[in-house]
Amino acid sequence: MNYPYGKAPLAILIIAILSGIWLFIVELRSRSERADLIFAVFAKEHAEAYRKPIREFEIENNVRVQLQLVDQRALQSRLQASLQVGAEVPDVVELLDGTMGLFTNGPLEDVGLLDLTDRLRAEGLDQKIVSSRFGKWSSRGRIFAVPHDIHPVALAYRRDIVEQLGIDVSKLTTWEEFARVGREVVRADTNNDGVIDRYMIDLPADGGEALRLLLLQQDIDLFDADGRVVFDQETVAQTILWYVRQFQGPDAIAYPAGWGQTLSQSMNDGLVLFYIAPDWRTKSIESNTPALAGRMGLMPLPAWTEGGRRTSSWGGTGLAIPKSSRNPDLAWKLMQKLYFNDEDLGRRFRDSNILPPVRSAWSLPEFGQPSSYWGGQSIGKLLVELAEQVPQEHSHPYQRQAIAQLNSAFGRAMLYHRRSGEDGLIEYIREELKVSADRVRAIVGRNRFLNLGESGKSEHHKEAAERSGPQSKNDPASTEILPVLEVR
Amino acid sequence: MNLEPRPPGLQETARSPHASSRALARSSAGASARPYAASAPYLFLLPYFIVTAVFFLYPLGYATVLAFFQTSGPVRRTFVGLENFSYVLNDPDFYKALWNTLLFAVASLFLQLPLSLGLALLLNARQDRLKGFFRLAIFSPNLVGQVFVGILFAMLFTPQYGLFNKLVFALFNTGLQERWLGDPALVMPAVIIASLWLYVGFNMIYFLAALQNIDQSLLEAARIDGAGAWQRFLNVTLPGIAPVATFVVVTSTIGSFQLFELPYTLLRQGYGPNNSGLTIVGYLYQFAFDGADLGTAAAVGWILTLLILGVSLIQIRLSGTTRKDR
Amino acid sequence: MSGLQTFLLVLAGLGLVLFLIRPKLGRAYVRYAMLILVGTLMMLPFVWLISASVKDPDVINDYTFLPPPSVWRSPSVREGDQRVAVDEVTDQALVNEATRVESTINSRNFRDLWTDQQTPQGPVHFSRYIINSLFLSSAATTLGLIFSSMGGYAMAKYRFPGRSGLLAFMLASLTIPGVVLLAPNFEIIYRLGFMDTYAALLIPGCVSVFGIFLFRQAILGIPDDIIEAGRIDGAGEFRIYLTLIMPLVRPMTSAFCLITFLGTWNSFLAPNIFLQSQPKLPLPVALNQLVGVYDQQYGIYLAGTLIAIVPPAILFFALQREFISGLTSGSVKQ
Repeated sequence: MNYPYGKAPLAILIIAILSGIWLFIVELRSRSERADLIFAVFAKEHAEAYRKPIREFEIENNVRVQLQLVDQRALQSRLQASLQVGAEVPDVVELLDGTMGLFTNGPLEDVGLLDLTDRLRAEGLDQKIVSSRFGKWSSRGRIFAVPHDIHPVALAYRRDIVEQLGIDVSKLTTWEEFARVGREVVRADTNNDGVIDRYMIDLPADGGEALRLLLLQQDIDLFDADGRVVFDQETVAQTILWYVRQFQGPDAIAYPAGWGQTLSQSMNDGLVLFYIAPDWRTKSIESNTPALAGRMGLMPLPAWTEGGRRTSSWGGTGLAIPKSSRNPDLAWKLMQKLYFNDEDLGRRFRDSNILPPVRSAWSLPEFGQPSSYWGGQSIGKLLVELAEQVPQEHSHPYQRQAIAQLNSAFGRAMLYHRRSGEDGLIEYIREELKVSADRVRAIVGRNRFLNLGESGKSEHHKEAAERSGPQSKNDPASTEILPVLEVR
Repeated sequence: MNLEPRPPGLQETARSPHASSRALARSSAGASARPYAASAPYLFLLPYFIVTAVFFLYPLGYATVLAFFQTSGPVRRTFVGLENFSYVLNDPDFYKALWNTLLFAVASLFLQLPLSLGLALLLNARQDRLKGFFRLAIFSPNLVGQVFVGILFAMLFTPQYGLFNKLVFALFNTGLQERWLGDPALVMPAVIIASLWLYVGFNMIYFLAALQNIDQSLLEAARIDGAGAWQRFLNVTLPGIAPVATFVVVTSTIGSFQLFELPYTLLRQGYGPNNSGLTIVGYLYQFAFDGADLGTAAAVGWILTLLILGVSLIQIRLSGTTRKDR
Repeated sequence: MSGLQTFLLVLAGLGLVLFLIRPKLGRAYVRYAMLILVGTLMMLPFVWLISASVKDPDVINDYTFLPPPSVWRSPSVREGDQRVAVDEVTDQALVNEATRVESTINSRNFRDLWTDQQTPQGPVHFSRYIINSLFLSSAATTLGLIFSSMGGYAMAKYRFPGRSGLLAFMLASLTIPGVVLLAPNFEIIYRLGFMDTYAALLIPGCVSVFGIFLFRQAILGIPDDIIEAGRIDGAGEFRIYLTLIMPLVRPMTSAFCLITFLGTWNSFLAPNIFLQSQPKLPLPVALNQLVGVYDQQYGIYLAGTLIAIVPPAILFFALQREFISGLTSGSVKQ
């Protein structure tokens, strides 16, 4: 019967029926009991690390927790969509750095996540965590997620080659000195074929996270604490100028090593000597280039001025409880179990090199152990030293768009430099930064809800209103409160 | 091909290469066929109507309404009229995205589709095991998922180590240091190269299938009449695959205008230096996903829809008129 | 001059000589030379994929493709009787590329994959994901084939009020980016109680505009007199579609099956959004879970990708025969 349409449709139909029957039987036999708590995470590493404590938690509280490992993009889509239309959400969820802003782009009372500020204070937990770390997870002074990590940034380097070249890393205290030494390294053409054999540092060619990280190091975030766009300032222009010069022109020392296999190859071959490495990246270096065991080192970032900050911050995870969580108290309890148990945190650091923001854990032996991969260096000790210096960040609903605009200004600066060289470059950068910043201001200014719930004490609101002209004056009367979709 | 219904009696048949004299004779003799119930086409389309009604109309309405609103989370929104549209149409980034998207669409129409057709013609011969293998080889990139494509191309396009750079260097003694994904001028070319690798085999499949219905006897007749290979292609093959070619052209155009995943994966969830890899859907995504501004995202969606619809209808109209002319 | 340049020049020269001696042979040569070049370029990533999946995870980044055969089976790093992890070896001189792992080529990735894997929701065997994917893809293909070809037939061979408007509407619906529709779609799926079920994936996609349009275009080329003849013989409309029309578009049916099957087989975002129970996940979602966020260990992921390629590749080979000229065209000519 099916043959006239070709064998393939017939075969596919048979597969569909057979596998369907099989799955049906399997489903019938499996008992599906509803979990008391659904916990969604996006990092495989976290899911693995939480397995044991969650099992303990289930026994201690006689509950069932379902852990879901979901791809970051899918998880964010799911959260955004279900908060938008009032569908079910996970009871606890881990958010990626920069995504919390998406849920705080309206008045505080509209935020779909529980305000955890009072809970944290009531139990004194806010005192246990490095305070700068809450900035990422706060909006208008209220904390909506608990930080999982602190992610101080250091520089990983090929210790063997660096020593062989006679470079003393303890003297690389400023970026200026770093670049000077770098120029010597790059210019020494070891086989005289005109091709550069060695680069000083790996930087992304599009600015990526690196540009913002270098700004954070100088205490400049894209937005200030009041949410104002502040990246069109002189220091930023100078940093972009520096970045451009490291990349192209006679003084270039940087090479974009990319990621994955080619990154590992450039490490293995020593094509690039220094790599920007937050705590988490040190682990991936260990597992992706095992051949370099004993030949790598970790040092603080060079500072922008002598005696300045020697670290920055890159990435982060925070744990949030949606308002429609079925059991916020149980979720809170789970968070404490996972985020504040020193013993677990020590074990987790050993497995992941990720530094928890909980100070009391740092004195555990795991954080002081020398690592043979890093040539006997204790990277835990270094990371802990840097941790207290990690700069404060400010979460903002439009953070990702601001990063895109900043990098776009940088991209134009690179183009200009390639076309016209240094002539007028810094003026051009200043102009383009202004253009980019104004564009972000326009985007922010279009939001009619930001700060709607506040008494207007924040100037940022006023600025936003002015920028977008009279038509977007916040007029609560024109705002429609939809009755159907209830969050609580 | 034409969108308008044809008058009865002037069926496609008359122009179809399949027209056989027997069939013509029968229809012109006017043998009376049992008329079909007027509901027949609607019954055939019933599943489509149901699925569309349940899963499409409401979201469509939702998106339409949203385009005129600003939202904040689930509970609050305010009517803003055409402000979302006017913002987008005044945003230089939108035009950048439009330009990149058009560039890609043109490349896929004039580079990728001819290549697909050419390969289909090459591989459309009689039983031949070797050709079977080549068909698989050329189709094979479609067997893998996006994540692999990301891992792969990050490796191909890296300066110095990238296989692609090495290949270019071996061929032309230059280009080893090109930063394909870091140079604004080279991002779109890199995306186009990656898309060639991915999609040439994909569209080849449609052409291969369409080529099977070419009447071999017509080709033979043309050969006997002394028509060259090019003549045979123009006069027999091309008309024979025209309906499917229209399908491929229209869906490729729609697909190119919706380009997003490929550059987004290649550029590690970014939009490239100086937004050089920003496409219209990428631009939309910046609002919907990076900024939680669903209203503006919906407005971009509508602008894109009108744009594609215009282009597609022109394409269909063009292919319709070429048929009439013959 | 590089080796590649020399090689290409020799190839071109050979072609030229052949053309001069025997033009016919020359043409065949050019055709195959082109095919081989294009085919090699297309397959190169696969060579890389296969190499990566059989390399020991410890050396995956040390070689672009395979390590040289001399180090395929190299001695392990041993201290006493124990094979010791590299970072615990005290004598660093021991640690070099040749001695790092037991053998640089092995099946570790595949062995790690083909087990009851520890997942966030208990152990799930890898084969379960394959069956899930097989079911989702074949069910989606079967449903899509039936409903889309019916729709395509109606759009091609009936004249009814609103037909051209409907076609424009269908095309328009293809053009709306899915991101915009996600939230309301999510709401519908949720309200219908489809969350975490395959219905969420199969039902909305069971008839695609894409398929309707494809079959419409393919069926347009079929002469109307075949249908007329069917009606004269007293066949019902559905029977005409089923027994007269569909056998004539067999190649397109195959193309549709292949592309729909593959599309579902590789679909990633939608199942990730709508499915939540670990044992229900399809292959791409489960494979992606193997790649870490901080430390991208992709050896095992690539081994999984290689396994995931097998079923659609078999399907492709099975469909090959539909793309061979002369098998089906006979029936059109009648």
